[in-house]
Amino acid sequence: MLEIKNLHARLKDGREILKGIDLTVEPGEVHAIMGPNGSGKSTLASVLAGRDGYEITQGSVTYLGRDLLEMPADERAREGVFLAFQYPVEIPGVNNMYFLRAALNAGRRHRGELELDAGQFLRAVRAKLKLLEISEDLMQRAVNVGFSGGEKKRNEIFQMAMLEPRLAILDETDSGLDIDALRLVAKGVNGLRAPDRAIVMITHYQRLLDYVEPDRVHVLQGGQIVESGDKSLAAELERRGYGAVDAA
Amino acid sequence: MSAVVDFPVKPEARPYLDAFRGTAGEPEWLAQFRQRGLTRFSELGFPGRRSENWRYLDLQPLQQHPMLPAVIGEPMGIPAGLRLDRAVLRLVLIDGRFAPELSAIELPGGIWFGSTTAAITERADLLRDVETGADHPFAALNAAFFADGFVLDVAAGVALDRPIEIIHLASGAGDASLHTRSLVNLGAGSRATIIETFAGEGKYWRNDFVAWRVGDGASLTRVALVEEGAQAVHFGEVMAMLGGGAKLDAFALLLGGGTVRHEANVTIAGDNAHCRIDGAFLVAGREEANIVTTIDHQAVGGKTSELIKGVAAGRAHGAFQGKIIVREGAQQTDARQTSRNLILGRRAVIDTKPELEILADDVKCAHGASVGDLDEAALFYLRARGIPTEEARRLLVEGFLREPIEGIADPAIREHLLRRLGDRLGRLESE
Repeated sequence: MLEIKNLHARLKDGREILKGIDLTVEPGEVHAIMGPNGSGKSTLASVLAGRDGYEITQGSVTYLGRDLLEMPADERAREGVFLAFQYPVEIPGVNNMYFLRAALNAGRRHRGELELDAGQFLRAVRAKLKLLEISEDLMQRAVNVGFSGGEKKRNEIFQMAMLEPRLAILDETDSGLDIDALRLVAKGVNGLRAPDRAIVMITHYQRLLDYVEPDRVHVLQGGQIVESGDKSLAAELERRGYGAVDAA
Repeated sequence: MSAVVDFPVKPEARPYLDAFRGTAGEPEWLAQFRQRGLTRFSELGFPGRRSENWRYLDLQPLQQHPMLPAVIGEPMGIPAGLRLDRAVLRLVLIDGRFAPELSAIELPGGIWFGSTTAAITERADLLRDVETGADHPFAALNAAFFADGFVLDVAAGVALDRPIEIIHLASGAGDASLHTRSLVNLGAGSRATIIETFAGEGKYWRNDFVAWRVGDGASLTRVALVEEGAQAVHFGEVMAMLGGGAKLDAFALLLGGGTVRHEANVTIAGDNAHCRIDGAFLVAGREEANIVTTIDHQAVGGKTSELIKGVAAGRAHGAFQGKIIVREGAQQTDARQTSRNLILGRRAVIDTKPELEILADDVKCAHGASVGDLDEAALFYLRARGIPTEEARRLLVEGFLREPIEGIADPAIREHLLRRLGDRLGRLESE
């Protein structure tokens, strides 16, 4: 589904952040990418989602057989790539429901499906809101405006549940969450596990992985994946810390 | 006509002076009123660039190509979607003249509502003492030439719950100027909501003047929706007077017109009056739009709040000038003014000029102004959810302009304006 080969990326100021990433994700898999601060985790998420401000100097990213890097950000999303933001953006004046319906219908149009009318949309929203225990009046507010940190993160997972992506990238979705919110987020993510869907979780801590069990765990350090393993690697990292990876 | 005149005449006023015929059969007080307006305009001429209140508009084209008053209106219908369906009282003016066939005027008790020409006969008591500001040249020109308008008089204590709708249409026939003059008079403790819509096609110059007299404890909501033709010039001028404990909620949405200028002058004459003036403009192509407000606090305990939002795209130019005066005796005045602007594209320009003139010592006054670009982080967030870039930009612009519109209390008017804004933004993408 996703094949990253020797990916190098740098910031506009010339600093190289990704220094040759290799990663293959198959449908149905859940991968965790762990690493210390500044290792390039969020840059990887941004590059995959198509955020401006990065220059790809080498390598390739293939998504469902297509060159992902050639696609504009909005097309990637319509093709089924979803990024759960580390810092969800507040958008005053843009109503949550309106925004979500526009997003959902953009994807449906892209796939040649009929757009959802207001009633169908509302029914779909209510079902998923319940799952994530988000109150409906939050949806009547502007996007992320006046949301608590936990509400913002839950809103990301809610959007993911609504948009049903093929490839979901969760950028530190667990950071700043209390244990109850973490459980809800995990429940949402687990509910989306499916044979034709892949999930990449980027995280600093093992905490989320206690609730969402990954198939593969990778350690990102200095812009490269330095170690990969099964879920036991996460527990091991928790014990020995990232500093010991180099020595291993 | 080459009448001998005994007052100085600015050259650009000459064609208008020559075109003045007066109106046969009008009462003497009105003939004198028109003559005073004509004299005043002849002396003042067009405001120059040095005139502070007009500094952001280019009047040269209008000055060089006089647009004389329209003689007769052309029949036309109300464009689709323009009408507020909920209104029960509707008055339509075509090319500045009352169009009874498009109007619906059923008078509830305690209300006089009709055309200005009808009021001249029936309600001269209301009209005789409506004064025009001394240094307002186009209000003076309007006094000389106004063809019609509307008058609403609400008796003390009467509350009108449904909005009254006034639709000003222009046919664009004859490159003419359309002068309308109106009056809203609210008796003590009364309440009314008015929406005035301005629309048209072709080339014309609309010069609208309206006086609002909001009596003690009365409450007026007035919404102006300006969707003039692309070649039109629109000057809308408001002179408002608020009595003690009166409440004014004014809102203007400027969505179209080659050159649009919306001016509101509010005098807070009675103690503890509240004045809210909100507005939004959206200009594209080579359009110009100005919102100019002057709030003059002359009494104790007055409250003013202003929120003006502007968006300029293409090579358009928008401006907001807001003056708040707090006179010596106007203690405990609380005034807030906010101007927020969004520039889309490198060739668009927005000017914003807050001005506070505070002569009392026990007052609260705050103002803030900003001009910025579309929020890139927000744009990426929307795109990362699959929303195409153009649609995402439209959503953000709409979100930006929604804030002042959402302050409108009447839900039917609020929804109507949001729809009109959405339609306008939809067309913006293809421009």
